[in-house]
Amino acid sequence: MKETISVLNILLPLLYFVSFGVYLLDFIKDLKKLINIKRVFLFLTLFIHIIYLLMRGLESSHPPITNVFEIFTVIAFSISFSYFILELLTDVRGTGLFIIILSLLFQLISSLFIHEQLVPEILKSKLLGSHVLSALLGYSGITISAVYGFLYLRMYLELKENKFNSLIYQRLPNLEILEKLSYYSAIIGFVMLTVAVIVGIIWLPQVPELKFSYSDPKLIGTGLVWAIYGVGIFSKFTGRLQGKKVVIFSIIGFLIAILSTIISNFVSKSFHSFTIK
Amino acid sequence: MNIIGISVNHNTAPVDLREALHLQQEEISDLLKKLHQELLNEAFIISTCNRTEIFGIPKDQNLTPVDMQNFLTKAKPVPGIADEHFSKYFSCSAVNHIFRVAAGIDSLFVGDNQIFGQLKESFQLAENAGSTGLLMKRLFDAATVVGKRSKTETTISDGAITVSYAAVQLIEKIFSSLNNKSALVIGLGETGEIAAKHLKDKNIGKLTLTNRTYEKSEKLAELLHASILPFSGFKDCLSEFDIIISATSSPELIITADDLKLMTKKRKSASTILMDIAIPRDISAEAKKYDSIFYHDIDSLNIIVEQNLKKRKDEIPKVHKIIKEELVNFFSWLNSLDIAPTIKTLRETFENIRSEEVKSQINRFNEADREKVEILTKRIINKILHHPTSELRKVANLGIDSPEAVSKIAIVRELFGLMNNNTNKEN
Repeated sequence: MKETISVLNILLPLLYFVSFGVYLLDFIKDLKKLINIKRVFLFLTLFIHIIYLLMRGLESSHPPITNVFEIFTVIAFSISFSYFILELLTDVRGTGLFIIILSLLFQLISSLFIHEQLVPEILKSKLLGSHVLSALLGYSGITISAVYGFLYLRMYLELKENKFNSLIYQRLPNLEILEKLSYYSAIIGFVMLTVAVIVGIIWLPQVPELKFSYSDPKLIGTGLVWAIYGVGIFSKFTGRLQGKKVVIFSIIGFLIAILSTIISNFVSKSFHSFTIK
Repeated sequence: MNIIGISVNHNTAPVDLREALHLQQEEISDLLKKLHQELLNEAFIISTCNRTEIFGIPKDQNLTPVDMQNFLTKAKPVPGIADEHFSKYFSCSAVNHIFRVAAGIDSLFVGDNQIFGQLKESFQLAENAGSTGLLMKRLFDAATVVGKRSKTETTISDGAITVSYAAVQLIEKIFSSLNNKSALVIGLGETGEIAAKHLKDKNIGKLTLTNRTYEKSEKLAELLHASILPFSGFKDCLSEFDIIISATSSPELIITADDLKLMTKKRKSASTILMDIAIPRDISAEAKKYDSIFYHDIDSLNIIVEQNLKKRKDEIPKVHKIIKEELVNFFSWLNSLDIAPTIKTLRETFENIRSEEVKSQINRFNEADREKVEILTKRIINKILHHPTSELRKVANLGIDSPEAVSKIAIVRELFGLMNNNTNKEN
């Protein structure tokens, strides 16, 4: 099984690269025959990726969330998987390359640096696995929301500046759809973050050795992101926020999420880090 | 067998001459009957604001397009019209021209969709007048194929090429669905009216019209099931609309900076599209400064029109390829209508069937009988084909351009599948 995992580890960035390439080609050339082919490529990539994740989990007897590079491969999968579901639901097929490129980058870094290491017993908990997976899906949701937010702003500028000949203007869907895609992804992200928080609260008392702190940077960061998206979604729902303001809200939420991840992972100490000393 | 034609169109004659020569339906029907009686075995006429054209199969091989030209100018005298205003077509160039018209590449606006419908109507008129036969029907079918293929296999008709339609297409790049949106059209001149019709075609949720002349609003509102606002009071309701298209001929601004300020205040951050398709402009350019307003004037819409026209022109080589393919198909069929090749193909077809059957059954006969079987089956085939062959030869004496000859040859070819034989060989 180890050999298969190694092969898949090499194969996955290539598959994401091919999927990205097909989406890019379709974006540039607008070839009718690629409309369904690109979807098949992405499906196959995701199918192989989920097999890889399952094999990895079975081989090591824990969910693949025990180090940054395992988390990266899960992020790569969840971003493209969320996009795939969104594409199936909305039939908006012209934006895939902007999302898949993120999966490609995450998977490439993961494949290059992933390695076996000793795993603390605490990380083998299924509840923790659910907590982390839902948090990753949540962050994937807000990442996709931000990508659509950026695309909205780009399209908005093209329209304002009469750049009707650009590929962005010609290939992207209309502003209202981009706004909806950004909004729906934000809702998915928000719901999954909420699930992550709830599972975390349930799991916490089961690990008395964990030094819980309300001033934990990851806790504060996630709380802040969760609150921003909560306020944004509520404001959009009640009609207080519309159009450009909705996507700017989403982008701000995403930037804070990135910032909080950097601070909590690399700058300050968190009870969220589990390493064997 | 020859097809000839004449055309007065936007490339050959100025608009006043084209207008003067334009034929009404009754005129076309009368003219077709006369043409059919005097000059042409088969004929059809197309007459639109941009072209008047006659095509047909001459009764007399010596008939020239100049004779048709004289016939037309005698039936519809137009002062100032001269030989230089006519394009003349023979045989392949005539068919090529009809195909170009059907594909929309001979139109004033390349890729024009209307012409295809007009061509269909013209053919229907010719059919009703009894001036069409097998050849014209086949020609029309081929032109239909060219028109349809050009539309589906190329993007020759894609994209807006009028300012009004460009405005509506631009709106669709901002709003995903118009059926939950409200629109106001200010000014119901030709441009405003067309814009209102386009919005209706796109299923706009609520359409409101306003015009200085109330009667004009009333008439169009009835046609489009729209509501009307009095011109004196529409400004009070600006904030109620997601889309505002203004196309008046007013020398002053209709929507000022103050109106915009008030409107955006009332609409909060809801997106509003303002399309100013008037010259001089109706809406203050201050609109550009508002984040929630998408303001476009005639200059920006013209950018779209020019881009689309360029894209359509870039598609012309693809249409030429389609026309070439269909010309080959059409003339392969036309050439197959000659007597000698028809008799030859008919005999070959029967001989093939005979020899294949004999080959498959020959082992059932002893050596001595095999030769007899060959002779017997050949004799049967010869007897079967004797009458059709002599009938076809008689038809040849009528002249191969006669409708009777064309019709009989076509029937023989169709009944015995000889058309397919030819095509297969060519392929």
